[in-house]
Amino acid sequence: MLVGIPLEQSNSAIKPKECATEMSEYIVTVAEKRCKKSFARVFGYFAPRLRSYALKQMGNEALAMELVQDTMSNVWQKAHLFNAEKGSPSTWIFTIARNIRFDMLRKLQNRKEDVCSDDLWPVLCEQTPDANETSLDEQITLEQIGFLFEALPVKQKAVIEAIYIDGKSQQEVADELSIPLGTVKSRTRLALQRLKGMLNSHDQVSS
Amino acid sequence: MIKFHPSLEQLSEFAEGSLSSVEAIMVSAHCDMCERCQQVVASETERLAEDVLDSFDARQSSEFERMLSSITQLPPSDKSDRPSRTTGSCEKFTIELDGRQFVLPRTLRRFVDKTGNWSSLVGRLWQAPVDLGFPGVANFIYMERGGSVPEHTHRGTEYTLVLDGEFRDGINAYDTGDFIYMDGDHTHAPKSEATKGCLVFSVVDQPLHFTSGLARLLNPFSHMFFR
Repeated sequence: MLVGIPLEQSNSAIKPKECATEMSEYIVTVAEKRCKKSFARVFGYFAPRLRSYALKQMGNEALAMELVQDTMSNVWQKAHLFNAEKGSPSTWIFTIARNIRFDMLRKLQNRKEDVCSDDLWPVLCEQTPDANETSLDEQITLEQIGFLFEALPVKQKAVIEAIYIDGKSQQEVADELSIPLGTVKSRTRLALQRLKGMLNSHDQVSS
Repeated sequence: MIKFHPSLEQLSEFAEGSLSSVEAIMVSAHCDMCERCQQVVASETERLAEDVLDSFDARQSSEFERMLSSITQLPPSDKSDRPSRTTGSCEKFTIELDGRQFVLPRTLRRFVDKTGNWSSLVGRLWQAPVDLGFPGVANFIYMERGGSVPEHTHRGTEYTLVLDGEFRDGINAYDTGDFIYMDGDHTHAPKSEATKGCLVFSVVDQPLHFTSGLARLLNPFSHMFFR
């Protein structure tokens, strides 16, 4: 099964910080394309390092390898949760390993009711409660925008629809409607100003 | 304004995952309320990650190859495959006392369903026991305006997190979000003058030891109040 997935360790002397950009790109590629080759790069770099950490923490080769396997499985399966803006790949992977170690140690002591890592560090939650609250806010705002959008003048609505819903460029819209690019720009600006104004007054009424 | 924070050492050990469950819960709940400590933990985590993942041993490559191949056969995780516990939809965020709802910091929400009924204590004080599920004795304690706990010291350690309101204890004045650590070296007499009273979350590992006046008579019974 491993044909074509070389386990690379050539970049082994490089510090985590020095290859953060490269590793970020690999993780994003794993998330988007399930690319095994990219994953093999990430694995080749981090697995031996994780093993060294795990061995110090667990003091036992079998448990250490279990920790490495669980950590890297999460990286493979949940690569879409990595966010380079929030931190480097090494920080993300370390927090996954730390959480697994935390839960493993409590499980070994048979402390089922004990606090679990998710309670303390929601690293791998699809949605943290707080994120959930924000997305609810956004939902309301989207609904409101949909409603206010209908109230825009026809010409402005056409431009906004083409750009923000169909994802066209301003030039494409200009060509399509046979109007100057400057007009597209000014209609967009006016429409956005108008939406913003309507949202503000909407907020004032509802609060 | 939050004035009392965990020590840098505690924040660092929290990032490392090496605090005891009680300490980890208290530090984590404090961080939910304190942006400064969130930032400290974030930068400590980054430093630790860089440090911990810097060294390695190059052996074991055949075992790693088997591991790599078995991992890449796993399907990607589906967004829906996670239990709803953390998605927030059915999770309770608040506890109630006398018709008032108190929103809890994220970390403490796991205890909402493990909190017993409020009972009235001496001195306009209310207490609801929390079943932690790990060693340590935890309570939500609510001091009504003018409510007070008789002066006491601690045989073990006591962590208190102010969840809503303010109180004084003869040593300091505490505000919402403050993280308070007390042990046998501290003697204090908490009292709230806040109009709306004060809600705290407290964990002790030993019964309190009352030190002054008539309250000393409480000592044989203190395990009944703070257990």
